[in-house]
Amino acid sequence: MTKNNSNKFSLKPFLVIWAVLTAIGIWISIKGTPWLMEKSASHQMHMAILTVIVFSVAAAPVAAGIYAVQIYALAKWRYKGEGVPPDAEPLRNNVKAVSAWIGVSALLTTFLLIWGLAALASDDNVSGPNPMTVNVTGQQWMWSFQYPIAETLLHHNVESNILVIPVNNQANFNVTSVDVTHGFWVPSLGVKVDANPGTVTTLSVVPNKPGWYDIRCVELCGLNHSAMITKAHVVSDKEFLTWLKEQPASPAAITTSVKN
Amino acid sequence: MTATIDLQKSHSPATNGGGFLRRLNFGTGIIFGIIGALLGYFLPHHFFDNQGSAFADQCTVISAVGWVIGFWFGIGALAGPFKWFLGWDQTHADEMYLAGKDQGKKRYWKYCTDHKVVGVQYLVLAMVLLGAGGILAMLIRTDLISPGSHFVNQQVYNSFLSLHGMLMIISLIIAVAGPWGNFVMPIQCGARDMAFPRLNALSLWTVVAAAVPLLTTLFIGGIQDGWTTYAPISIQTGIGMNTFAIAIITFVISTTVAGVNTVCTIMTMRTTGMSLDRLPIFTWASLIGGALGLYAMPFFATAMTMTILDRSAGTSFFSADSGGTGWLWENMFWLMGHPEVYVILIPAVGALLEIATVFSRKPLFSYKTAIGGMAGIAGLSILVWAHHMFTTGWAPQLGGPFMLTTELISIPTGIIFLVAVGTIWRGNLWMKTPMIWLMGFIANFIIGGVTGIYLSDIPVDNTMHGTMFVVAHFHYVFVGSVLFGAIGAVYFWFPKISGRFLDEKMGRISFWLAFIGVQVTFLAMFVSGLRGMPRRYASYQAIFEHTNVISTIGAYTIMAGMLVSLANIILSWRSGEPSGPNPWHSKTLEWLVPTPVPLENFEVLPVIESDPYTYGEKEGARA
Repeated sequence: MTKNNSNKFSLKPFLVIWAVLTAIGIWISIKGTPWLMEKSASHQMHMAILTVIVFSVAAAPVAAGIYAVQIYALAKWRYKGEGVPPDAEPLRNNVKAVSAWIGVSALLTTFLLIWGLAALASDDNVSGPNPMTVNVTGQQWMWSFQYPIAETLLHHNVESNILVIPVNNQANFNVTSVDVTHGFWVPSLGVKVDANPGTVTTLSVVPNKPGWYDIRCVELCGLNHSAMITKAHVVSDKEFLTWLKEQPASPAAITTSVKN
Repeated sequence: MTATIDLQKSHSPATNGGGFLRRLNFGTGIIFGIIGALLGYFLPHHFFDNQGSAFADQCTVISAVGWVIGFWFGIGALAGPFKWFLGWDQTHADEMYLAGKDQGKKRYWKYCTDHKVVGVQYLVLAMVLLGAGGILAMLIRTDLISPGSHFVNQQVYNSFLSLHGMLMIISLIIAVAGPWGNFVMPIQCGARDMAFPRLNALSLWTVVAAAVPLLTTLFIGGIQDGWTTYAPISIQTGIGMNTFAIAIITFVISTTVAGVNTVCTIMTMRTTGMSLDRLPIFTWASLIGGALGLYAMPFFATAMTMTILDRSAGTSFFSADSGGTGWLWENMFWLMGHPEVYVILIPAVGALLEIATVFSRKPLFSYKTAIGGMAGIAGLSILVWAHHMFTTGWAPQLGGPFMLTTELISIPTGIIFLVAVGTIWRGNLWMKTPMIWLMGFIANFIIGGVTGIYLSDIPVDNTMHGTMFVVAHFHYVFVGSVLFGAIGAVYFWFPKISGRFLDEKMGRISFWLAFIGVQVTFLAMFVSGLRGMPRRYASYQAIFEHTNVISTIGAYTIMAGMLVSLANIILSWRSGEPSGPNPWHSKTLEWLVPTPVPLENFEVLPVIESDPYTYGEKEGARA
């Protein structure tokens, strides 16, 4: 064996590469995320976007560090001679480096966890005025929405295939399915829950921006899964009441409807 | 008296159960398998007049089981128990014959107990299954090239994506642990073979037995419920679900047998001086991966059995109408599903860390931390399953705890990065193809890892779950990381099995096509997901068109890269540059035996006095 040939490491160029990559990462995190993600129309979606930004900013220096080592190593430590390179100077362990690495990753993880739990708590405690229940039923391959409030106001059932809810009021969804498992998702509202047969799952959201939004099924439910999409319309209180009164009386509850 | 007789028997040159039992091979396996399948299908028709509503399901199940048993019989897997039952002992000549002594290339088509033959068989089988899954991936991406494409109809699309998922999971489980866990690991331990050579052959041929009903699924109507086969749609979908389920149960038998064999080999067959703190890191990875598979995979077989019973025997484990719940399936599935990710990942990490030391000409950095990292990942991975269920509505109170366990995994995963970086640090980087794939692995695994952290966070998962973002995330892990690791391992160990190098130039072309392809495909797929495209959509809204077209182009690029490596393997196996026994000047035992490796590996078992990472240190007296 030839004698050890030890490569040098100089901190300055490495730090430059790291800093540049970190800066790019942070810039993409802050500028790119809101541009890439669905626009927010609720607190939950706002928190989701914010969390992605915060996590990306926190991850940027870590990822950039690894990439910087790769780039630096490929540029400086690559063996350019012929044949098998000589052995390098052995480095069996470095307790300080290992401890620091584990310590930093533990701190980062703790931060992510605390942030996550706080965001989760704020999502769970969402509340707004005039809570109204909407019963959401998935069936192969359509969504239907029932408004129990119509029974109180109009004394008849109202059932619709698009979701209409008033802005800045709390909507509570009771979600279920009559056949297989579906996934109820309103992307712009940042909420999602499975529609399970035989069980009711719940969601609460306060939409804070009027407009038309998509509703998509996100649990593979068979043949026309990708066609199981509809619209959510977030409107003012007044428009909502007008819409509700325009709806024809629905003859029966959806749960008795025939399976496709 | 008895002892004398036995002694005479085992010394006699005559063999027991020669003739027919010795002629069994892959061809007879297929023939008996088909006979078993036909019997399984037609006998019930013959004997039962009262054919209930589940009769088609029952017949398909019995037929698929008939195939598996027939194949086992035809390949010779049952010959050992059969002889034992008749009171015939295996003679030494029998065992040598089973190990493929003096049978040339024919042994690769037989129930061969030589671990090196099994390793090569696994390599070819993994490539065949990866190829099948890859073709399905290309068909899926082709269908997604425009919003309302009708390249295939929706039913076929759903079947394709279900089979693509399952084929890829199976082929990645065996992609590293199969070839190298069998070929390399016993030699690394200083063993003459695996602890249970016949079980080793059984594990290999059982994967073949599983692959056939799995692929059959496509031709009997397919399945509509994805590889995750959530209930109750798995009860509703067509008869393809039965062959799918039997394929899974059969595959789990294989992984369980292989897991027991791996763990027993490493725990009991190590040579003198090969203490656990001198064990090569790939062998450690095989041990941890194998043990984790033993925990995880049986959940899958149990859950699939329940699905079969629900479909064909009137039980209601998963049917809400009569007291069951789909959440039960989801829990059992993910109890398997998450550890299984690490059953796939950990052997690949082990292989890459071997590559890192050899091609940096340095000892593995912080050996014990590396083992701790892999063990930590394995331990935590059994406690995180419900993060796949954040949005199912099941047990919202458990969201916080599962978020905690999931995010904790980033600590041992970070350790793997530290070990890789520490090993490369100031090394003399020998940029041969295995090292290039390692660099690609590290770069891709960063992206796969970081995006996993978003998904572990419930408020983010509430928007991301079930979208293309998740698909892109786990493809960065499975394709960008595990597959790169598996290919790197092939480039690394190929000279040992064939005595020839893989072509460097083709290796580099293959790498760059695959690396660029992965970035193009899956970065665009992240964007599709962030913009709100759900996964498993056969058609999509026009807003997702650009990113899908980009992903499709990227996917073709990956396929091109894979084909270059495939051509490389085929060409180099015939006419590659001869490599000699230790082309990389490595110090692990598999490189210190001759190439081709003789039957039983060592003339004299080596005595070990240090770990195999003494680069740049005083040479220990190694065998």
